[in-house]
Amino acid sequence: MKIESGLRKIIVFEIALPMVLLIIGIMMGFLQVLYRAGIMRSDSFLGISYYQGLTLHGAINAVVFTTFFAVAFGHAVLRFHLNKPLIESAAWASLVLMTAGTVMAAIPMLTGSASVLYTFYPPLKAHPAFYIGLVLLVVGSWVAFFSWIPTYAAWRRENAGRKSPLAVVGIFATFIVWFIATIPVAIEIIFMLIPWSLGWTQTVNVPLARMLFWFFGHPLVYFWLLPAYVMYYTMLPKLAGGKLYSDFAGRFTFMWLVAFSAPIGIHHQYTEPAIDSTWKFVHAFFTLLVAIPSLVTAFTLAASMEHGARKEGGTGLFGWWRKLPYLDANRWLFSYLFAGLFIFIFGGITGIINASYSLDNVVHNTAWMPAHFHQTVAGPVFLAYLGGSLLLLSSLTGREIAMRKLNVWIPYLWTLGIMTFSTGLFIGGVNGEPRRTNMGLSYANPNSPLYQASWKLPKYLGAIGGTIMTIAMLCFFAVFFATMLGRKRSEGALDLPVSEALHDEDVKAVRSFRPWLVAAALLLIIAYTVPFLDIARAKYEGAARFIPGSPVAQQ
Amino acid sequence: MLEKRILIAATIFALAVAGTIAMTVRMFGIGLPTCLTDVRPFREGKVIEQGPKRYEIHYVARMWKFEPAQIDMEPGSTADVYVSTADVTHGLQIVGTNLNLMAVPGAVNFARVKFDNAGDYLVVCNEYCGIQHHNMAAHIHVGAKPPAPPPLAAAEQQPVLEKYGCTACHSIDGSPSIAPSFKALYGSKRTLANGTVVTADEAYLIESITKPDARVVTGFEAMPSIDVAPADVHAIVEMLEKLK
Repeated sequence: MKIESGLRKIIVFEIALPMVLLIIGIMMGFLQVLYRAGIMRSDSFLGISYYQGLTLHGAINAVVFTTFFAVAFGHAVLRFHLNKPLIESAAWASLVLMTAGTVMAAIPMLTGSASVLYTFYPPLKAHPAFYIGLVLLVVGSWVAFFSWIPTYAAWRRENAGRKSPLAVVGIFATFIVWFIATIPVAIEIIFMLIPWSLGWTQTVNVPLARMLFWFFGHPLVYFWLLPAYVMYYTMLPKLAGGKLYSDFAGRFTFMWLVAFSAPIGIHHQYTEPAIDSTWKFVHAFFTLLVAIPSLVTAFTLAASMEHGARKEGGTGLFGWWRKLPYLDANRWLFSYLFAGLFIFIFGGITGIINASYSLDNVVHNTAWMPAHFHQTVAGPVFLAYLGGSLLLLSSLTGREIAMRKLNVWIPYLWTLGIMTFSTGLFIGGVNGEPRRTNMGLSYANPNSPLYQASWKLPKYLGAIGGTIMTIAMLCFFAVFFATMLGRKRSEGALDLPVSEALHDEDVKAVRSFRPWLVAAALLLIIAYTVPFLDIARAKYEGAARFIPGSPVAQQ
Repeated sequence: MLEKRILIAATIFALAVAGTIAMTVRMFGIGLPTCLTDVRPFREGKVIEQGPKRYEIHYVARMWKFEPAQIDMEPGSTADVYVSTADVTHGLQIVGTNLNLMAVPGAVNFARVKFDNAGDYLVVCNEYCGIQHHNMAAHIHVGAKPPAPPPLAAAEQQPVLEKYGCTACHSIDGSPSIAPSFKALYGSKRTLANGTVVTADEAYLIESITKPDARVVTGFEAMPSIDVAPADVHAIVEMLEKLK
């Protein structure tokens, strides 16, 4: 489909800018595994300190790259599936705001005055520009979302009675979840952290800030996951040569995540004071309910792939698995989506372990946690986003994908890396290895009084896995930038694979967001009213400003 | 309808898992972190022996150490652990047990742990708390009953060292740490990273406090720069002279 050249430029920019930043983010990740294994025993490398690098790794990979991709992908899906021009001025405004925010937050991170990690827990304080930059990035993504609403409303009026395209429902679910999530964190940053970091207020209520942060922190992961789900439901069956087994399953998954992704944030706070155990348990229960759509997705996609494989001649109870296009360079996106799904099996199971209140006690804040979220965010999400970026780039710029043979292998290499890496971190975590820790200077340093000899094997597995992941990403960057700089073959158009539905059910309950938004509001009221009242009533003493480099409170 | 049956089955599954969690918590008495709104945050770490094999521990987490740093108990002891923080957010995990607590500014956290087996337990900070986070740890020794603890160390009578958090990294009793010990430092010969040998006299010590990265002793990282008031610089140097 031909699209407006303005929108094309916007999408390509929103894909390419974070990809350049991602080079820094990936290199910082590689350094982490070397530091942690004790291979590098230093507090910095090339002037970038360990914790500064860790901040860059999280902020670029998990915040900047994801937000830019979600907006760019949203533009593409809406333009393609609604077949209506978008409000281009709003898309430009969104781009400018997000880029300005990224630059503003990047300067203090790169100069070392915001080494507070991407979760920026107070009372560790970053430079005010870091917080303001984050706000601009989020507001920029809101602008894009709001600008889609009138376009979608117009489509609904013109197509009364027709079901909305599944991909569009998925994108709206993504951004509804994002909007719900970002309100509490905006309150935390704008009303608590910015005035406090500027010195206008002297102290900050940390239990309140933490509860607002995690009110945001969990739906955030569904904001990351949902664009990947859109690709799974609307592209993967087609790439596998079949049809989506159930259209209803997709719609149900999106709606259920709208309702249940937010009232569960306290499952990140099980080991914290200031929250009653009863409410921790309520959040644990709601968390298990949010595992349902992921299980629905796993079975629906397996059925869809089976449908494709059988059409291509696959037989037997398990024999059809051989007929999937694992290494088909013409359907290269299949390998990205399939590898991600494989990793997600383990990421999902460990997620259920973490959500189980009593089990979390053993693994909370240990290396187990980064292993889990690398199998989720750096698994299905990251691979889908890489594949999606490459798809949009080659389609919109009219360039063929470079190094086609290498390209289909990248996701499998990444899978090997991430499975090795996380096996090491899982073992280490169960044995008490802390996360976010420069172990090369203490627990992994034989010269330190804190040296832990028994943590050696898991650390080396982490380093080996991390190295494989880095190699996979170097291959990806080569493919991506060679494609970008390659010769133009055609004018450039927007083309996305579209799966038909095998069972195209029409279930009234999932035709409108309205009942699910009401459910989301009710669940949030149930889940959060009492915990917030408890914190307000307890009147916790405020915390002063601290910077990472000094044990003395700052003026 | 198939979907309805699937939904019912899924709900039963979720309820069963939630029920199992509730049951394990009750049956095994796992010491889940408990909200304590009626305890004021404390600033003094201590161990209270409440009876035979019954202890109450008040851990203060601060950048970048736990107080008390070393605790001794007999095997079979039960400890009520209270955690408070003097500065930023920390985590406290006793490796090899189920005790895993966050120290959040403004609130006190609590859990109970029983040490069935003798051994040396490592207590790690598992939440990022600044540039020396990786060196923030403490120890619990579970074995035969220990002798009475030594009298209060000199630095704890010297508020100037506490004021700037010096003892987070510099020990005062000569024990090894991430920074040179203050004991017998004054007047000693120090080898720098470039191989030259200097005497740690008053001028060198003042320079090391005010410009930490000027002349760094070999084997150590440069100290983060801390804004010490001029009067306090001299108080610290006097203190080091006393520890000679």
